[in-house]
Amino acid sequence: MNVLIIEDEKALAHELELFLTKHNYICEISYDGASASEKIAVNLYDFILLDLGLPDYDGLDLLKEARGTNPDAACIILTARAEVSDRIKGLDLGADDYLPKPFSLLELQSRMQAIIRRKFGVPQNIIDLDGFMVNLTDRTISYQEAQVSAITKKEFDLLAYLLLHKNRTLTRAQLGEHIWGSVINDDYDSNFIDAHIKNIRKKLNALAPADWLETVRGLGYRIKTNA
Amino acid sequence: MKLQTKLTLFNTISKLVIVTLFVLLLPGIIESINKNYTDSRLIKQRDKLLDIVHKKGISNYIENGESYGSYLPLKEEYISLDEAEPGLHLDTIKDEKRIIEQDTIDYRILSHTFIAGKKNYLLEIGKSSDTIGETSGPLQSIAFLLLLGMVLLTILADQAYSNYILRPLRIIIRTKLLGKKFPSFTAYKEVKTSTVDFQHLDISIHKMVETIEGAFQKEREFISNASHELMTPISILQSKIENLFEQDDIADDTKLRLLEMQKILNRLKSITKTLLLISQIENHQFLKEDTVTAGSLLQDVYEEISIRLQDKNINLELGVSDDVELINVNKFLLFNLLFNLINNAIKYNRENGKITVTAKWASGQYAISIADTGIGIAEEELPFIFNRFKKLKKSLSQDSFGLGLPIVRSIADFHQIEIQVSSVQGEGSTFTLLLPPGLINATVK
Repeated sequence: MNVLIIEDEKALAHELELFLTKHNYICEISYDGASASEKIAVNLYDFILLDLGLPDYDGLDLLKEARGTNPDAACIILTARAEVSDRIKGLDLGADDYLPKPFSLLELQSRMQAIIRRKFGVPQNIIDLDGFMVNLTDRTISYQEAQVSAITKKEFDLLAYLLLHKNRTLTRAQLGEHIWGSVINDDYDSNFIDAHIKNIRKKLNALAPADWLETVRGLGYRIKTNA
Repeated sequence: MKLQTKLTLFNTISKLVIVTLFVLLLPGIIESINKNYTDSRLIKQRDKLLDIVHKKGISNYIENGESYGSYLPLKEEYISLDEAEPGLHLDTIKDEKRIIEQDTIDYRILSHTFIAGKKNYLLEIGKSSDTIGETSGPLQSIAFLLLLGMVLLTILADQAYSNYILRPLRIIIRTKLLGKKFPSFTAYKEVKTSTVDFQHLDISIHKMVETIEGAFQKEREFISNASHELMTPISILQSKIENLFEQDDIADDTKLRLLEMQKILNRLKSITKTLLLISQIENHQFLKEDTVTAGSLLQDVYEEISIRLQDKNINLELGVSDDVELINVNKFLLFNLLFNLINNAIKYNRENGKITVTAKWASGQYAISIADTGIGIAEEELPFIFNRFKKLKKSLSQDSFGLGLPIVRSIADFHQIEIQVSSVQGEGSTFTLLLPPGLINATVK
């Protein structure tokens, strides 16, 4: 997958490149609108990560250009200017998603994967975790035909996020940001993640031991699987 | 009391006082004028008579020592001339009684003695007191009516003029001070007046509002710009920490320290995001176009927050029916308002405590109350709980940075929702939201 990162903050562009390269994306970087415009005109990309606040260019104009020359590319707007109107304008101009800064790299990756699933369809929407069948479409979990009962929306969101980043340790902060990102409140501790995990475990263990959901001591949680 | 009312009242009262005073004094004045007039007439008559006596001699009136007397048929005036004791000397004007043909009548009497033909004579000219005072009654009432009419006329004129001259002031008060949230800045519209004082007032108010508005605007812009500017560096730090965390050659204890950094960064992020949200609300960047029932909104909050209830084993009672529809609201913001209030009710509650959410109609407004069984708020701290970064003494141990209630206040203000707080320390607090009728779907009522 080819990704064009258009970001004038070199440090951030570098971190994005580092992260995405590690996850098997091929990255190119433009630090300004002019070079981005050239690259969009010449090359074909699968993803364009676009910072709206460029010094030399209106990001929304770049978006229009990209729609013309790179119609198949998925555009994700990354911006620090999280004005509500910008968001609507961006999505109106055909952006596929909108991620306000500061964002978690994991969040970016999950949005990119969601776009891939949407565009190409996902062959495997049911994931087998040691006998637990997680259905990402119906948002259900079953074990040997028996449904795991009363799994809440938040709990499933947590599981799906861990599953999306399987075999990686996710910190409480990262999990908290994912499931509470839209709530503005003045707590900064995400200890309630532990309570959620405890509830999930209780519900899963009622059917069979779910050892694949691991606690990484002191750091966070991880789903370990070969699936 | 309005200035105009005061002016009119003062005018009316002062005029009435003057008129009453005048009407009260009038009888005395008329009487003294009458007396003076009568006296001078009496003196004239006396002089005339003395003149006749001087020219024609006393015999013209008195012969053979018989006294002379004459009066008008109704006895309103009389004149008498008589010999008097030699040596008697009189020259007075007095009020006295005289008996004329069995009638006792009050007279104003001029008594004068003079010598004619070696004899002393006493002249008396009398005018009945009744005839003296008879004009004063009608005069008084005419004067009273005339004055009353004039007073009414001037009061009306005063009223009309003060109404006219105070019109600019009323316009200034109505359009620039009342019915608006101060300082709400709209384009300056000059109030037309030729009164310099009002022009001055108008301009001054305008300039003050402009200055205040400018300061507010600057503050909002500053917060907005500052938080925006902070977003990028925070984003870079967050990405760096996340990348580091995933690096294979990082030891676990280093990862723990990265985790601490991530936590602190999250705190910075929350503060910045919250400040940005407040500035966005205050800059009216949100639309109010959603329709949602209070019940379903609270249900959403409940789902989001149930894990926190469970953590402290707190019972949340939702006593809000689903039949009241809120219109012209921003669902995202209202959700955050209720979330923060209920979250506080959990945070400052005791273990196994209780939170009761109720709704009722109170004088045309829909009131949603959130009552907890928590630590309560000290009375002296109540006025400050909505201030940014204000941490209450008892809450210092809690994980918060003092922006929860400021968000609540901003969102409430944005929707013109009034917040009432009552609290008993050690027993709990109740936050009541008063929703104006404009937010309620009238047909559902």
